[in-house]
Amino acid sequence: MNTSQTKDICTEEFLINMGPQHPSTHGVLSLELKLDGEMIRDCTAHIGYLHRSMEKLAENRTYTQFIPYTDRLDYVASMNNNMGYVMAVEKLLNLEISDRAKYIRVIAAELNRIASHLIAIGTFAQDLGAFATPLFYCFREREKIIDIFDQICGNRLTYNYMRIGGVQFDLPKGIDEKIKKFIKYMRSKVDDYDWLLTYNTIFLARSKHIGLLPKDLAINYSVSGPNLRASGVKWDLRKDEPYLVYEKLEFDIPVGENGDSWDRYKVRLEEIRQSLKIVEQALGALPEGDPTVKIGRIHKPSPSEIYLRTENPRGELGFFIISDGSAYPYRLKIRSPSFSNLAVLPELVKGLKIADIVCILGSLDILMGETDR
Amino acid sequence: MLMMLIAGIAVLAFISASAMFLIWWERKVSAHIQSRFGPMRVGWHGVLQPIADAVKLLLKEDIRPAEADKLVWWLAPFFAVVPPVMAFAAIPFGKSLIPKDLNVGILYIMAISSVCVIGIFMAGWGSNNKYSLLGGMRSAAQIVSYEIPMILSMITVVMHANSLSMQKIVEAQSRHWNILHPNMLLAALVYTIAATAEVNRAPFDIPEAESELVAGFHTEYSGMKFAMFFIGEYTNLFIIAAISTTLFFGGWHGPFLPPVVWFLSKTYLCIFIWMWVRWTFPRARVDQLMAFAWKVLTPIAFVNLAITGWLLLK
Amino acid sequence: MVIIKIIKLSKDLVIGAWSLIKGLVITLKNCFIPAITLQYPAQKQPMTGRFRGLVDLHPEKCIICYQCVKICPVACLAIAHKQENNKKVISEFKYNMELCCFCGMCQQVCPTSAIYMNKIYEISVYDRDKTHINLLNPGKYIEWLNTSIK
Repeated sequence: MNTSQTKDICTEEFLINMGPQHPSTHGVLSLELKLDGEMIRDCTAHIGYLHRSMEKLAENRTYTQFIPYTDRLDYVASMNNNMGYVMAVEKLLNLEISDRAKYIRVIAAELNRIASHLIAIGTFAQDLGAFATPLFYCFREREKIIDIFDQICGNRLTYNYMRIGGVQFDLPKGIDEKIKKFIKYMRSKVDDYDWLLTYNTIFLARSKHIGLLPKDLAINYSVSGPNLRASGVKWDLRKDEPYLVYEKLEFDIPVGENGDSWDRYKVRLEEIRQSLKIVEQALGALPEGDPTVKIGRIHKPSPSEIYLRTENPRGELGFFIISDGSAYPYRLKIRSPSFSNLAVLPELVKGLKIADIVCILGSLDILMGETDR
Repeated sequence: MLMMLIAGIAVLAFISASAMFLIWWERKVSAHIQSRFGPMRVGWHGVLQPIADAVKLLLKEDIRPAEADKLVWWLAPFFAVVPPVMAFAAIPFGKSLIPKDLNVGILYIMAISSVCVIGIFMAGWGSNNKYSLLGGMRSAAQIVSYEIPMILSMITVVMHANSLSMQKIVEAQSRHWNILHPNMLLAALVYTIAATAEVNRAPFDIPEAESELVAGFHTEYSGMKFAMFFIGEYTNLFIIAAISTTLFFGGWHGPFLPPVVWFLSKTYLCIFIWMWVRWTFPRARVDQLMAFAWKVLTPIAFVNLAITGWLLLK
Repeated sequence: MVIIKIIKLSKDLVIGAWSLIKGLVITLKNCFIPAITLQYPAQKQPMTGRFRGLVDLHPEKCIICYQCVKICPVACLAIAHKQENNKKVISEFKYNMELCCFCGMCQQVCPTSAIYMNKIYEISVYDRDKTHINLLNPGKYIEWLNTSIK
């Protein structure tokens, strides 16, 4: 082609809206992509489709009444949200809880961490095209955890189990055999996932070296949770700022090397194994006592403020509460991990193809209920 | 003349029955791999499910996009269904149960199956939809590139049997099956992978499942036209399983049972393996797929051909 | 140099093929495990003892302390009482099933266990008026009870 012809050829970027309805379980997220042929030049995330104004509602509810609302933040890891909020209020009131309640909280939180990571792994495999098989296996395992929670507190997704000062019910009789049986079953299944997915050559080709998140970028964007650990930063609130009884329990923190999507998946798989270890130890060390507490008392903390953070399966969940002495909080702010994790997405997708953005989004493990509150 | 008419009608009846059975079989196999039941309501364990699907698709409204290229859009499903049906003319079901024993049997089948690409391309173009066009082009690139390793692996079998006719290839395996020779085993592996890409099945199902965010080249089709793409896919699956049985697994040879029973059971076992692979692996990305075809499969197929030639000359 | 590349490529291919075969073994193993799903209307899953279904009432146990109304986060309960012979008697106990978030706090706070949560979970109705339930009516959940497992 001579130069007079090439002058007329120009390419332009076109805009695609990966709209709010997604064929994957990340929720309602809208991504505006600027594409140049197959390559992504820029990506803007539009959130807010699931905004339910929880923080404003909290200003008109008592501290106990707000607990069912925290269930619905990260609806997949409901126990961890309950626990974070209740621990923040207890610190505000300077309340001590019984040892048995602490151990039961750790068991519930770690079992829920396993359930949440199962969903993350299942949907990640589905986004990569392993159409439904790993997803069904993960949901089959998660069904067992949910059955255990159904017997403990009566509900399958929004548990509303923690109370200010303890928990709602004591563990029913016979639940520790069920949990022990589940631990044994789950250990063999995690090895199955290793065989099925982790070193599968197609899976490796799709997810290795995709979405590299370097250490300093992760720290600057305040990414937390397994995403941060996959980039090589050994930071876990359960070990670095221990709460409840985590300092008495022995477990490792899996850390990745490169920060690509495969590392993020691998860290989550390892965390399932470590959580099983924690649940086993906590079940063996469960002290006697009464973990329940009477509700109906209206808590009126003295005018002060507090920020407490706990390790959610998706990262660092923080509750900032300002109390002005009345029964209702003056301001409640929720620091959700998925909000910060999502912010790093435009940096990761530059220069990649559309098939890769689906892979990165799946590996970051975003939940819109938490991002939009 | 009458015999040919009866043979044609018998083959058409077999194709429809087989496609319906495969639709049900796919859903059952995928369900049992995933620890669930699959269709259970319509008939005993859901055997009448394909009939329910067919009735549903017949009752759907046939929508045509306003700006679509009428003739091209309308013809595309035919190009997806007719070539596989035509390829049935040379499949050896039994000792003398072959509609027409062409002396260029395998070449005829390969030539006819290549026409399927045109159908997919016409569907992509005729839909007047940016994403369908890109999906159709990708699919065309995929099918055309994977034809080369497929044909090269078939040529090794043809060299061994000294003939292109399907019956002669089967008869050349009367002592032992072709797959027992190591170079044939390699050819069988290359053929399996290439054939999976030819019929757009996982792990190479980019045109179907994830093509630029929407459904791919058959987005704009509804009702019976979509059913024709669907039936074309399952018929194609049967064809490649039948070819792999004929070329590598001994065709209709087998001890006590009648030959047609052996042929069908071997074919359906091959189909089970294809379905098993589909429900296990994630999908490959487009550039990885093309790189795999040109940089890995084609050299291996060429080397295999050279080795087969050397072994035969010895 | 080329030989080394070819050896590396074949090693990669063999390792890749072996990983694929391992995946296939897992799915085949699962093919022969019995399915775990239930055929829904014919087979229903029994609810556990602590399951939180719809809110229900034993009117004779209620001491009209209004604790359940005060603790409900979504204000779905409405009680009214009147004086009869110097005793408090309930005149109205309305429950808005649409607003209820099934948290179970009314059940936990009641001092006499008058209000509790039953095991009905198939709770969809065609008519919005049916979601406002009068808990004093003894036949309030009759049509649900005919469809749900107790």
